Amino acid sequence: MSKNKGDKGNLLLELFSEEIPARMQTGSEKQLTNLFEKSLKNRDIGYGQISTFCSPRHLSVIIKNIDLKQKNQIIEKRGPRLGSNEKAIHGFLKSNNIQENDVVIKDTKNGKFYFYLNQINGINTSEVLPEIINEIINNFVWPKSQRWAYSELKWARPLRNILLIFNNQPIEGKVAIDKNNFLNFSTYTFGHRNENKKIEVENIDEYERLLENNYLILDRKKRKNKIINDTKLLLKDKDIKLLDDDYLIEEVLGLVEFPNVLIGNIDKQFMNLPKEVLTTAMKVHQKYFSIIDDKNNLVPKFLFVSNTIPKKERDKSIIEGNERVLKARLSDADFFWKTDTSTKIETFNEKLKKVLFYEGLGSLHDKTIRLSAVSIYFSSLFKVDVSLAREACILSKFDLVSEMVGEFPELQGIMGGYYTKLNGKPNEISDAIFDQYKPKGISNDMPKTKLGCMLSMVDNIDNLTGFFIINKKPSGSKDPFALRRAGYSIVQILMKLKLNISINDLFTEALKSYENSSKIIKLDLIDFIIDKVKFILKKQNFRDDIIESVISLKESKNYLFPILYERVNCLNDIKDTNDFKTFLVNFKRLKNIIKSNKLLDISNAKLDIHLFESSEEQEIYDKSENLDINLKKYLTDLEHQGIILKEVINLNYVIHSFFEKIIVNHEDNKMKVNRIKLITELTERVLKFSNFHHIEN
Amino acid sequence: MDKNKSFQNIIMNLQYYWMDQGCVLMQPYDTEVGAGTFHPATVLRVLGPDPIWKAAYLQPCRRPTDGRYGENPNRLQHYYQFQVIIQPSPDNIQNLYLESLNAVGLNSKDHDIRFVEDDWESPTLGASGLGWEIWCDGMEISQFTYFQQVGGIDVKPVASEITYGLERLAMFIQKVENVYHLDWDGLDKDKGGKTYGDIFLQQEKEFSIYNFEKSNSSVLIQHFNDAEKECSFLLEDKINPLPLPAYDQCIKASHIFNLLDARGVISVSERQAYILRVRNMSRSCCLAWMDKSNV
Repeated sequence: MSKNKGDKGNLLLELFSEEIPARMQTGSEKQLTNLFEKSLKNRDIGYGQISTFCSPRHLSVIIKNIDLKQKNQIIEKRGPRLGSNEKAIHGFLKSNNIQENDVVIKDTKNGKFYFYLNQINGINTSEVLPEIINEIINNFVWPKSQRWAYSELKWARPLRNILLIFNNQPIEGKVAIDKNNFLNFSTYTFGHRNENKKIEVENIDEYERLLENNYLILDRKKRKNKIINDTKLLLKDKDIKLLDDDYLIEEVLGLVEFPNVLIGNIDKQFMNLPKEVLTTAMKVHQKYFSIIDDKNNLVPKFLFVSNTIPKKERDKSIIEGNERVLKARLSDADFFWKTDTSTKIETFNEKLKKVLFYEGLGSLHDKTIRLSAVSIYFSSLFKVDVSLAREACILSKFDLVSEMVGEFPELQGIMGGYYTKLNGKPNEISDAIFDQYKPKGISNDMPKTKLGCMLSMVDNIDNLTGFFIINKKPSGSKDPFALRRAGYSIVQILMKLKLNISINDLFTEALKSYENSSKIIKLDLIDFIIDKVKFILKKQNFRDDIIESVISLKESKNYLFPILYERVNCLNDIKDTNDFKTFLVNFKRLKNIIKSNKLLDISNAKLDIHLFESSEEQEIYDKSENLDINLKKYLTDLEHQGIILKEVINLNYVIHSFFEKIIVNHEDNKMKVNRIKLITELTERVLKFSNFHHIEN
Repeated sequence: MDKNKSFQNIIMNLQYYWMDQGCVLMQPYDTEVGAGTFHPATVLRVLGPDPIWKAAYLQPCRRPTDGRYGENPNRLQHYYQFQVIIQPSPDNIQNLYLESLNAVGLNSKDHDIRFVEDDWESPTLGASGLGWEIWCDGMEISQFTYFQQVGGIDVKPVASEITYGLERLAMFIQKVENVYHLDWDGLDKDKGGKTYGDIFLQQEKEFSIYNFEKSNSSVLIQHFNDAEKECSFLLEDKINPLPLPAYDQCIKASHIFNLLDARGVISVSERQAYILRVRNMSRSCCLAWMDKSNV
């Protein structure tokens, strides 16, 4: 028996259904917790630790130490003001059915009032549980749900049983499926599908173990550990290991109640197919894992997770069955490979003319022509051979109409790489085509070659430009064309290769290729990319305010990208030094003085050095002029960013002594204007490097 | 070979099994369809008139684009489905299905049976449902769907549809790797026994040539237009429409569209338009059928 404290009890709820889609299972555990917590809190019922579990058919929650009784509630009712007439007071007493000694006097903001504090005794939790369970089930939202038979209730797949135990007692109650059909709360569940044994649960502490005895591992983590450990055992003594695939493991976890890890053989005749084709065919349709040797080569074996209770004979026939299926799958892939490799690339490319890229954006063939045109500019930016670049663009999309990519869309690019190589195209071209969809958003998996980077970039630029032109910009959570990802890819390549291009110029050529001259679209695209630049910089652990101080410069989109990056880097390097911190303080003081004098019109004033009264003014003037000269020469010189920043920070001393010695608010207006003008000029010059006032110290 | 495992025995055993479950045993619909679902016994019957409808039938299906000139061991442009439709969906339908496997000599307890999410949608029928593909030792042998909508109309009560891919199932049971090697009748060759290939290889070759190379596109387009016209004509009389003959025209149009598609003469943007036209036909038929059922 679980030891409950006298006034607390443990609860077990299990929602048993037909097989829930793997992708929805983890989310459903979280949702169950949230809904249960909300229902308990709303009713003032205290509770302890919550744990959830799920298998394809079971969704369960165990909550420890739930109050056996709801807390007493006090409902406060305000009556008449102190000193009101008898009639009002009597009316209040009568309407609440209370006596004079039931009321108290309380002080409020608006004076003293009579109050009635009505205490309502909490009811037993077991009595409200049926209501709570109904509330949870009816408020549950699945990513996709269905009706069944006459059901009015919707669930991801038909809900078949509700197990409910509280304080080790069954609870009477039911949930309506439709007007005439109900699921009564039960105390049983079912074990592994193979046996489908009905299991009576009497004690919550035994629940998980009871199921495990019936080959049902309820805990996702335990299933995962079993898969990992069994795999290790199976592969031990050999120099082979699983090709890591976290996504596949997570999916497989949602398809098994009791993972039984098995290994089968791949027919040798298929080992000549490209590695990517083999792994994709195995993974996508069959959810098989690939196995590699110590040189990262595929070995002719596959690993899969069966949902069965291990039994030698059965395991053997399951392996054989899976081997036959894989053979059929791979013969298909082999057929596609042979068909594709005996087709001329020109034939494929001709087909592209008939395939729409997107309504209003021409065919895929049109797209390759645009890419090729844009690549003339970008090839010199990337310092790659222009004719190779153009050919790579022209050949970049033909694999989309190949048989293999038709069957496995995730092999796009990769197949193009293989097919161009087989057709004797230069390696530079096939490598670039192979990698053209990298990086996938924020990822370190970059194209291996510069040409690959270029192809990836011009393709993403073409996507962004096209979809912005037809007004399919991403909004909110909607980004059906993965344009945000395209943006991140562009910025990552921009940073990695330190390309000498300004954000302003990024889309110029693509817009030309679409024959579009809209300024608004161009500005939208620029804003979009600036946003992505900020995000990626943030990902690289630069501080928000530092990024903002540079990117918010009016000129920033005209700067070559490496300048922006270098400037952020320089600021980041010195951000914690005392000199910089003092500088920020001084600089803010400068700005404040200017701000407090903003009514003063200095626009026509000309700085007059003859009005200087002190060496401090002269000194500031000299430094300011010197900065101006250097800015004019080096503001956009990559090598000089750090040097300029140093010069700016060194202004510290002169600004400091200026404040010490000089009173800006001179009684003579002429003097005052001259001094304001002096520090305004300096400030303006400093602000060309960075909006320092955005930086926090 | 165990005679019970022959292709024709598998069909017979499924028929007996579902007959015993109270299904009306029907025969294939006598026109080309892309799937067993197209049979009026499924599409129209789940919309009425009786909320209880159980039927089982074999249905030859045509998918012109899947033809491989008889050269691919797994792909056919003509193949068989066994279709079970039960409305309302019974609470024990999953178990009924698993027992049906026992009936064809496949003891589900000896295998790794998996229900893997696979939501089904037929754009031309305006139909959709949630369910699974059912795996047996990694092989997809059936499709299981809770029908939510047909012709854009909510199916009430919800029906459960089970579709067995018979060639796949038989290949699994007979442990055969090439569809043409399937034993059709369980008879030895010297006694006149036939394989799947003996019966269908020639058909696959000829129809692949027809579907991909020889069909006359302008004639087919004309047929499509005619079917569409006929369909709407048959539904014109709002008081006494003829949804069943009209639906025949809709099925015909759907098959013609598949033929045109295989011939590669439909561009991407036209494609959507064709699908929409068939969808409108099927929806009109469904609505007319429901109107009539409710009288």
